[in-house]
Amino acid sequence: MYQSESVIRNHYNNINDWLDQMTSKVILEKNAEAETHFRNIGITFSTNNETARERIIPFDLIPRIFTYTEWLRLERGVIQRAKALNAFLADIYNQGEIIKANIIPKEIIYKKKSFEPSMFGFSPPRDIYSPIIGIDLVRTGPNDYFVLEDNCRTPSGVSYMLENREIMMRMFPDLFHNNRVTPIDDYPTRLLQTLMSLAPIKCENPEPVCVLLTPGPLNSAYYEHSFLSDQMGIEMVESTDLFVEGKYLYMKTVDGPKRVDVVYRRIDDDFLDPLCFNPQSVIGIPGIMDVYRTGGVNICSAPGAGIADDKAIYIYVPEMIKFYLGEQPILDNVETWNCEKEQELKYVLDNINELVVKEVDGSGGYGMLIGPKSSKSSIDEFKTKLSTNPKGYIAQPLLDLSFSPTLIKNQVEGRRVDLRPFCLIGEKAQLSSGGLTRVAMNEGSFVVNSSQGGGVKDTWVLAE
Amino acid sequence: MLSRTAEYLYWISRYMERAETTARLLDVGYRMSLFPNPSGYNNEWESVLSASGSIEGYKNKYDTIEQKNVEDYLFFDESNPSSVYNCILNARNNALVVRTSFTPESWLAINKTYQEILNLKEKKFTKSDLPDLTEWTIEQVNLFRGSLSSLLRNDGYNFLFLGLFIERADNSARLLDVKYFVLLPKPQYVGGNIDNMQWSILLRSLSSFRAFRWAYDGNITATKIADFLVLNNNCPRSLSFCIQNIVKHLTNLTCSPEKVGRIYNNLKDLNTKIQEEKIETIVEYGLHQFVTQFIRKISSVDNEIHKEFFN
Repeated sequence: MYQSESVIRNHYNNINDWLDQMTSKVILEKNAEAETHFRNIGITFSTNNETARERIIPFDLIPRIFTYTEWLRLERGVIQRAKALNAFLADIYNQGEIIKANIIPKEIIYKKKSFEPSMFGFSPPRDIYSPIIGIDLVRTGPNDYFVLEDNCRTPSGVSYMLENREIMMRMFPDLFHNNRVTPIDDYPTRLLQTLMSLAPIKCENPEPVCVLLTPGPLNSAYYEHSFLSDQMGIEMVESTDLFVEGKYLYMKTVDGPKRVDVVYRRIDDDFLDPLCFNPQSVIGIPGIMDVYRTGGVNICSAPGAGIADDKAIYIYVPEMIKFYLGEQPILDNVETWNCEKEQELKYVLDNINELVVKEVDGSGGYGMLIGPKSSKSSIDEFKTKLSTNPKGYIAQPLLDLSFSPTLIKNQVEGRRVDLRPFCLIGEKAQLSSGGLTRVAMNEGSFVVNSSQGGGVKDTWVLAE
Repeated sequence: MLSRTAEYLYWISRYMERAETTARLLDVGYRMSLFPNPSGYNNEWESVLSASGSIEGYKNKYDTIEQKNVEDYLFFDESNPSSVYNCILNARNNALVVRTSFTPESWLAINKTYQEILNLKEKKFTKSDLPDLTEWTIEQVNLFRGSLSSLLRNDGYNFLFLGLFIERADNSARLLDVKYFVLLPKPQYVGGNIDNMQWSILLRSLSSFRAFRWAYDGNITATKIADFLVLNNNCPRSLSFCIQNIVKHLTNLTCSPEKVGRIYNNLKDLNTKIQEEKIETIVEYGLHQFVTQFIRKISSVDNEIHKEFFN
């Protein structure tokens, strides 16, 4: 919000006035109202302990604002990246040009668990492997955006993006009268259009039947699954609702079997088909991969799409953009050391006090070391881990994430934020006009993950 | 519509209806406990437990029948499948799964109820709170039912109402039975003043006391009340009203006409009989026997609905 110590950036003036008008009492009331609203609509975490109350993510009342021009650049950058990632997937599961061109070493790809050999030689509709991509971005200066990671499997969080806006409009309608905020509530419609545009070759239905496949109510993103299917008006199915017969996939309905054309799956590859992947899996639809490969159904995202968001592949995304699109990357990667390489490992070990070390397969802010903020003993612990299993780690510099004004105990204080906008690729490529802003609620913290004290904010993109 | 969705919708309204019945039963017990307990009558709390089908579970847990324990068992107890708490919890968990077939209002109605009962459960209650708790429950169930008016009139809607009326038919029959079978062991009391007083408590608990006054002239008699609760098609809790609505929502289903036909065939005799029957004949035959048969029939219709649609 601030340009420098005390100068407020223009587009935050309205918000600043609004904040000035609010008394502590109103803030307390609005906070309570937001919490009640989130509980009532059920946007909660489920916990394993059934008797415990479900948790909700802390919601900060102050929106984060992007100007139209700021967003334009992000939009172009994210779409560019999403296209390159899909081109990469199409390439490695077919000709492997990028390997032949010696840009990415083949062992990095083919030895990964997330590489799916059964996808080799198969092309999904429109060559789109990952139609919904969430890109995590951080900002370190007025025009300095970096991509922290790509999420090509089943990125979640979009329901927070939509519900945060709903609650803000409900609590502060005047803010929306006085500011030209681009609406985001058409996201579910666009998602459905994207899915429908990815119908399999054997689909004759002009309006393909799409379903959302969920692992069930115990999944932590279950709210989002039901929210999205509700908004799209499609069935939310569990694997027991689906079965394969002949060369098609059907769902069990009160009318009898009904053919399914597109499965927006929110379950992992391992649990898709016990005949093809994990034979121990009790969930999954036996035979679905066969139907998929013969064009009877489309699975979004494609099995094996996860290789594209692997932390070891991340390093090569700028190269991919140049290779497949012939363009210069609009958004930068964070400088990353691949501990698998001996020289880079040495650098990391020597400079570990300055660096952030991450597990290649870690997520949720766990299994990571923030060098400048860690005790000597945890640094030593990581040094041992790095030496014994260098392949399992990457390291990055500690970025000075931008601050966003956040209400802490009724005072406005700066807290670090990141951003996940959602990119859709089907017949066309488009970006949500907003995204999920996560905020590290603890003073001085760099970790925005909800599992570790992170909160969320409404994210505004101002209209032109 | 997914078979599983249909099943969950059906059970959501069964659970919500059951929550109301349990609350109303507690209300019956509470009102009866305010009157002197006449000799020859069973303990009112015991009848309440019998009527809700919870007597065995209760006795496994407690040695004596006491108001406080009965209240807790029927309202909050997690080990009692028919407790108001469990009904709301189950309805809410089902609703979570089938939100897609619901309007946001219906979801909100159920989820708010759930959030509130969690708070109530944390705070527990004192004796004088029972009327508040039962009133709250009835209000919540009414909110839910009201929200259903915003639904599309599709098969999901019909499954919801099938569940509602199957549950209500069963519950009304059981409530009638408590009064006749459990409350009145000694024949000489039948038709006496105390008897009538208790009948009117039953009417009140079925939210039908004033309705009954408007529907029938003159004295409250056992036969009139039985007529009202069994055969009167204007009374939304009568057995005949429930059957009529089960038939209506069953035949409104647009899916699988042959399945609908099979269930209807099983149901139509009961429907015809209850529309043509005279109350005097039923009383002569024995209300208890009639009601027992009725409950059995409803249960077989329920089984068929499961077999045909939800498997």
